[in-house]
Amino acid sequence: MSNQTERLTGWRLFIATVIARAYPRVIGQQRDISWMFFDVIMPLGSVAAYVFVYRALKAPEEYIGFVVVGGAMTAFWLNVLWSMSSQLYWEKETGNLALYIIAPNSMMAILLGMALGGMLATTLRALVIMVVGSWMFGVTYQVASFFQLFSIFMLCMTALYGMGMMSASLFLLLSREAWHVANLAQEPIYLASGFYFPIKNFPFWVAAAASIIPLTLGLDGMRQLVFPSGPALGFMDVRTEIAILLALCVVFLTAARYLLAYMEKLAVREGRLTESRR
Amino acid sequence: MQKSTFARSFLTATWLGWQIESNWTDPFLFAVYSIVKPIASAAILVVMYGIITKGAFGDPLFPYMYLGNVFYMYVGAVMTGVSWSVLDDREHYKTLKYIYVAPVNIPMYLLGRGVSRFITGSIAVFITITAGVLFLNVPLDVTKANWLLFFPTLLVGVIMLAMMGLVIAGITLTTVRHEGFAGEAVAGLLYIFSGAIFPLDVLPAFLRPIGLAMPTTYWLELLRRSLVGGVAQAFPTLAGFSNLELFGILLALTILFSFIGINTFRYFDHKARERGMIDRTSNY
Amino acid sequence: MENFALQTEGLGRIYKIHGNRKEKAIRKELVALKDVSLEVKTGELFGLLGPNGAGKTTLIKILTTLLAPTSGRGMVAGYDVAQQPQEVRPRINMVSGGESSGYGLLTVRENLWMFSQFYGVPSKEAYRRIDSYLKEIGLTDRAHTKSSDLSTGLRQKMNIVRGFITDPQVLFLDEPTLGLDVGASRDVRRIIREWLAADAKRTLLLTTHYMAEADELCDRVAIINKGQVLACDTPENLKRRLQKDVLFELATSPLNGLPLSALEKLDGVKKATLRESDGRAEIKFMLKEESALAGVINTLTSANVKIQNLTKHEPTLEDVFVDLVGRSMEDEEHVESD
Repeated sequence: MSNQTERLTGWRLFIATVIARAYPRVIGQQRDISWMFFDVIMPLGSVAAYVFVYRALKAPEEYIGFVVVGGAMTAFWLNVLWSMSSQLYWEKETGNLALYIIAPNSMMAILLGMALGGMLATTLRALVIMVVGSWMFGVTYQVASFFQLFSIFMLCMTALYGMGMMSASLFLLLSREAWHVANLAQEPIYLASGFYFPIKNFPFWVAAAASIIPLTLGLDGMRQLVFPSGPALGFMDVRTEIAILLALCVVFLTAARYLLAYMEKLAVREGRLTESRR
Repeated sequence: MQKSTFARSFLTATWLGWQIESNWTDPFLFAVYSIVKPIASAAILVVMYGIITKGAFGDPLFPYMYLGNVFYMYVGAVMTGVSWSVLDDREHYKTLKYIYVAPVNIPMYLLGRGVSRFITGSIAVFITITAGVLFLNVPLDVTKANWLLFFPTLLVGVIMLAMMGLVIAGITLTTVRHEGFAGEAVAGLLYIFSGAIFPLDVLPAFLRPIGLAMPTTYWLELLRRSLVGGVAQAFPTLAGFSNLELFGILLALTILFSFIGINTFRYFDHKARERGMIDRTSNY
Repeated sequence: MENFALQTEGLGRIYKIHGNRKEKAIRKELVALKDVSLEVKTGELFGLLGPNGAGKTTLIKILTTLLAPTSGRGMVAGYDVAQQPQEVRPRINMVSGGESSGYGLLTVRENLWMFSQFYGVPSKEAYRRIDSYLKEIGLTDRAHTKSSDLSTGLRQKMNIVRGFITDPQVLFLDEPTLGLDVGASRDVRRIIREWLAADAKRTLLLTTHYMAEADELCDRVAIINKGQVLACDTPENLKRRLQKDVLFELATSPLNGLPLSALEKLDGVKKATLRESDGRAEIKFMLKEESALAGVINTLTSANVKIQNLTKHEPTLEDVFVDLVGRSMEDEEHVESD
């Protein structure tokens, strides 16, 4: 064996790391298909329950579409919560975290790999929920601008996973409570981000505060762009929402970078990278 | 005095379950944690209702939906409470095999592990109902409620849910760890078919029989009737049944599900040991 | 300086232990490492030997940049582990016994490829090394098995390959044979030796609490207990310290209440350790001269203790540990856990 052969460094090492960490996420999706049940049937169940509530209330038909789109987007929230934020806790439990840290790659690349892999895998789930939900409840779409729709989706995803990367570094310090914290954040965000109703109905400042979560504006903007009555029920003008999402992307990704470096230093000092407190 | 294996398994598991559920933080945070989730879930429905009806909380549909949703918390709490520890002990704490080799009655152990979630669930139920009465005009009058119907119904219902939890625990013995969990999945699906937040008549006709076969449907109806009698009459689904008839159906279905629960668990328990799955970790 | 692959100067680590809710105010401190100064030359196979809880893993964590020291400093390949972790990391790798790293639903080959990418090994080269090491370690037929389906021994072999494929200058092995059966342990030791011999620039630091393993494998050994290095030398030199002593092992009937201290007080007896089980006692004596044995036997027989077997033996690292600490390593672990 040759000693210290040529190795990739700099941005090439960064890319190689991203791809390598995304790999198990994407391949896992094919090998373990139980996600079909948990990540598609379950959100579809919630969608159906809320659709029937709207039917019982004799709500206007567009609300049914709102629920289906919201239900599809829950897949991304669950993914960020369970497979981004609290993921480093699991990696610590299995011993992977220590190996990530001692390797010469950047932890940002590891998180980015997790995010990209998770995003790709989750997009498929969200699409299945959307297609099946729309078929079950007869939802039709009328896209106002494909370009804006694509932009708002991509920005929403970037900001959302940026937020996931940021919170992942906070979770570096947590142990058993990590699971509880993630669990706690699930429903309140469904409420605050308006997964099942338009947030325009909240007082302005409540809706504005909820917009910290990228899914809030992402959902609102996408609904405005795919339903004819969407703009009337929208929180803000789509272009304003795109601008705010862009700002959120910058803030979350930058914060993730600095927070991660700080947390890693802190965890090394306090000896929390390898402890396993079950 | 020597406690019986049944009592010992149940009590030890109850103590352990409470420690695991609660001792990761201080009691105040734990209390907040226990109520934020259910309150948020209830708030989603309240907002949806408020938007569409423009705040007409006096309509009978509101207490129907609100109370149905509140008591449905028990479904997730008890079913998951009983079955989750199979995964938790096997994959996370890696103690399931030691529980198995100890002189412990496994179903009683699992039931004991579910008690803590029943307790935290009860706190959440109490707080959510109080909030509904105080702020959302839920027409519950403690002096007029039929407590003689309420408490026996609650008790029978909890037993019924625990038995359904045992079915899931059995299935879990032979499945791998996953982000989602069968207990929550089943609770989620039953939500649609139990008339929890909308009357069964809203369901397409071909799906209604599923709802009528579920004990949770009768349980929730009885709880609603016992607390806010008038509301139940507003919906036709079960209007033809008297309280006693409904209680009879609930009791019969509970006995049936107990039989199914115990035998299903026994079957999967046997399968799991046959395939050597008691001490495996899926390590995904 | 360049000659040393590893160097520590007065390295120390104190853990702060927070009490539970009731004892929140009480803060205890645990000294895991105290004033550790070591030098490991490039090309050495260096062993850290000590009972569980001695501080071996803490030392490895510090040297692999996972934990900051609270005093002193550590250097790996000439770089400060606390100040220059980015320089240290490309040059090291670590494998721990009993670890369950990787992803269960990836195959052995995929897991190894993934980790190689974190070190920037080009994929083609990575696959070449993976296949070559898998062949050497006897895992080729399992290359496409999901790692969740591997037994403990096979998984540990996979982990060791993970340590090799990035071709580190310094490889840290923390209890690499923990939980492995005799055959698998022997394989692992052979592979470790071969890997080190293949390139003079490689250095290996190994922790173990198996005396024989340290004796067999290591060029030099540091005996560590309660966070302190008690001795550091080649296994031969360590054992030679005891060569002037005479070591006897006696198997007897139970001691009938005769205290061990009564034997230790006898003239010419340097140390004695006792293990009693199943109506049998095993006493190990370290004597200043052979003639002291007569007094020992007299004392035992007058207390009605029957001598069933008597053997004289060459000193082992276990005896070195007893000499340094005053107790066997096993006893030391019991004391620690009490």
